[in-house]
Amino acid sequence: MTEKATILKADDLSMRYEDGVLALDHLNLAVRAGEVYCLLGANGAGKTTTINLFLGFIPPTTGACFINGIDVAKDPLEAKKHVAFVSENVMLYGNFTARQNLDFFAKLGGKPDLDKERYYQVMRRVSLQEKAFEQRVKTFSKGMRQKLGISIAIIKDAAAILLDEPTSGLDPKAAEEFQEILHELKAEGKAILMSTHDIFRAKEIGDRVGIMKEGRLVMERTREELQVEDLVKIHIDYMKSEPLSA
Amino acid sequence: MLKTIVKKELLENIFSYRFPLFALICLVLIPLGMSVNNAQYAKRVRDYQEQIRLADDASANLSMSDLMGGTVAIKGFRPPALLSVFAQGFENALPLYYEFTQDGATQGESASGDESLVSIQGKFDFVFLVQMVISLIGLLFASDVISGEKEAGTLRAMLSNRLPRDAILVGKITGGYLALAVPFLAAFLLSTLVLLLGGFPLFGGDAPARIAVLALAAALFMLIYYTIGTMVSTVSFKARTSLVAILLIWSAFQLVIPKLGDMLASLIDPIRTETQVSLETSLLAKTIDTETAKELGKQYDLIFGSARKGAADDTASPERKRWDPLKADIEQRARERKAREIRAITETYRQERRRQQSLASNLALISPSAAFTRLASDLCGTGELARTKYLAAVQSHQLALDQALFQRVRRTVMIHPGGGTSLGFSVQPIDFKALPKFTVASSSLAEALKANVQSLAMLAFWLIAPFVFAYVKFRKYDVR
Repeated sequence: MTEKATILKADDLSMRYEDGVLALDHLNLAVRAGEVYCLLGANGAGKTTTINLFLGFIPPTTGACFINGIDVAKDPLEAKKHVAFVSENVMLYGNFTARQNLDFFAKLGGKPDLDKERYYQVMRRVSLQEKAFEQRVKTFSKGMRQKLGISIAIIKDAAAILLDEPTSGLDPKAAEEFQEILHELKAEGKAILMSTHDIFRAKEIGDRVGIMKEGRLVMERTREELQVEDLVKIHIDYMKSEPLSA
Repeated sequence: MLKTIVKKELLENIFSYRFPLFALICLVLIPLGMSVNNAQYAKRVRDYQEQIRLADDASANLSMSDLMGGTVAIKGFRPPALLSVFAQGFENALPLYYEFTQDGATQGESASGDESLVSIQGKFDFVFLVQMVISLIGLLFASDVISGEKEAGTLRAMLSNRLPRDAILVGKITGGYLALAVPFLAAFLLSTLVLLLGGFPLFGGDAPARIAVLALAAALFMLIYYTIGTMVSTVSFKARTSLVAILLIWSAFQLVIPKLGDMLASLIDPIRTETQVSLETSLLAKTIDTETAKELGKQYDLIFGSARKGAADDTASPERKRWDPLKADIEQRARERKAREIRAITETYRQERRRQQSLASNLALISPSAAFTRLASDLCGTGELARTKYLAAVQSHQLALDQALFQRVRRTVMIHPGGGTSLGFSVQPIDFKALPKFTVASSSLAEALKANVQSLAMLAFWLIAPFVFAYVKFRKYDVR
């Protein structure tokens, strides 16, 4: 079996903020095509900082992160061609309809010539109700906005997808639907990096699961390893353990 | 990519509640203001024509005895400025007329005499609307252009794409500004249509060119405030913070700086009042007249004191042959001295005033609103340039009347050393029907623009500087 290409790679990545807080401490991780990597950890562990660095929102203090082999800090615009992003609270333009939002972000994502039917197709795929397609987004529930957010990621058709706590606040049915879509995207060969607090979902979806603490990746397990280990217990143990800096 | 951002920004503004509100304000207030001002202008024109007719009749009915009595006062009326419909400027503050007498010109009443107290805050015209209302709306529209997207989280979503930040900034400014400019220009066009229907001579002289430049200046002014709003939005991370900062900036630019300019100038460079100068000149004239009368009386008594009876009336007598050139010389010297010294006083005052006004104006020009108002009022012929032209016309008309009328009847007053005064006249023929007409030359568009190089430079500064600042800040803007 051939080794799949690495799409997302953090190489000795560190981030110290202006106030002196070390948010990321020599992080090394790689996500291959067709793989879902779940990052667990308490608030402030460095999950969102990792995503922000991959998106080029902040420059790393040391190290580098790569998307499809492109150094994000050196060529952020080129790197962003290959990544889609879905945040915890998908924020869209409330006065635009679902299709108008999708159209706007598709154009930003480098897909300028898609027709209405293509947008409908993608929205159907994420199980957004037909009647919502031409409705203003300000009337949408969080679950509906999340579905539209993933539609935006799908329509961009990028090699990598970054998800920042995407299932937070979703009802079980919506979270289940979301999980289904991720499985499909994974099957299409997307490299997915997802930060989450949802241990059960991470175990369900993740091909690999990493636990972060104080900016460090303190544990990494494969799906196979988690068949025999209790992820909940491991996670709680790390949460309860002494601070690393102590 | 830029087109996508522009379109999105334009649509987002159009879909927001603010857009119909703004469109309504523009489409109602601008045509309404112009329509009301047009009616007032038409009334002023009728009044002016009637006053001119009455003044012409009065001039034609003048007689030598009026002139000898020294009671002649000829009124010269200022024609209403056509484009005062757009910008009232000094239109109501300047004297409606000047009264020309042999002692000089004195100003008549102004049209602001019968105005209500609220007019102190500014006349309701196009320039006032743009300067006070549209500028504020421009700032409010821009207040959340960046900080609002940051707060909503949409900026993160946008920047997760292959999208240069300068494209976002330029696209947002362009789209947001278009959302303002389109209803604004539509309202402006509607207003001109309303004026045409109201009988306004829109196509008279260079009025179309002036109106076009005025519309451009107003559109530029709106862009300035939109860019300033965007700049504020790029330095704050919350829409509410932007809003507070924007209101402070607006107050400073609209209310504080322009008024502070006048106040500071009068503190830095205090000058005499016009009344003081007027008293000074009339006192000087009276002193010279008295001194001349005494000198004439003294010389008269010296020459005719021991002369035979009737020598003063006999033009062939040796006394008269000595007296006539001496009298002419004394009067000539007195006239020259009076003119020279009064000119010195008024010229000094004019220079002092010009210096203070220039200082006040330069201080006020720090505000883009003051720069716009100055430019707009000069474009409409109701600004500083019109005032200067009016005063120049008054001076030149006084000279013309002196030559054609007042100096043709010369009064000679003598105060004799032994007591008593005597009065004599020398008269040259006057054609009362051919007296010079009072006209005020209007400035050309080129003159108006030339006089406003500073204003244009300040407007350019306020357009470029906030954009550059916003650009620099937004490149480093923390979108997390």
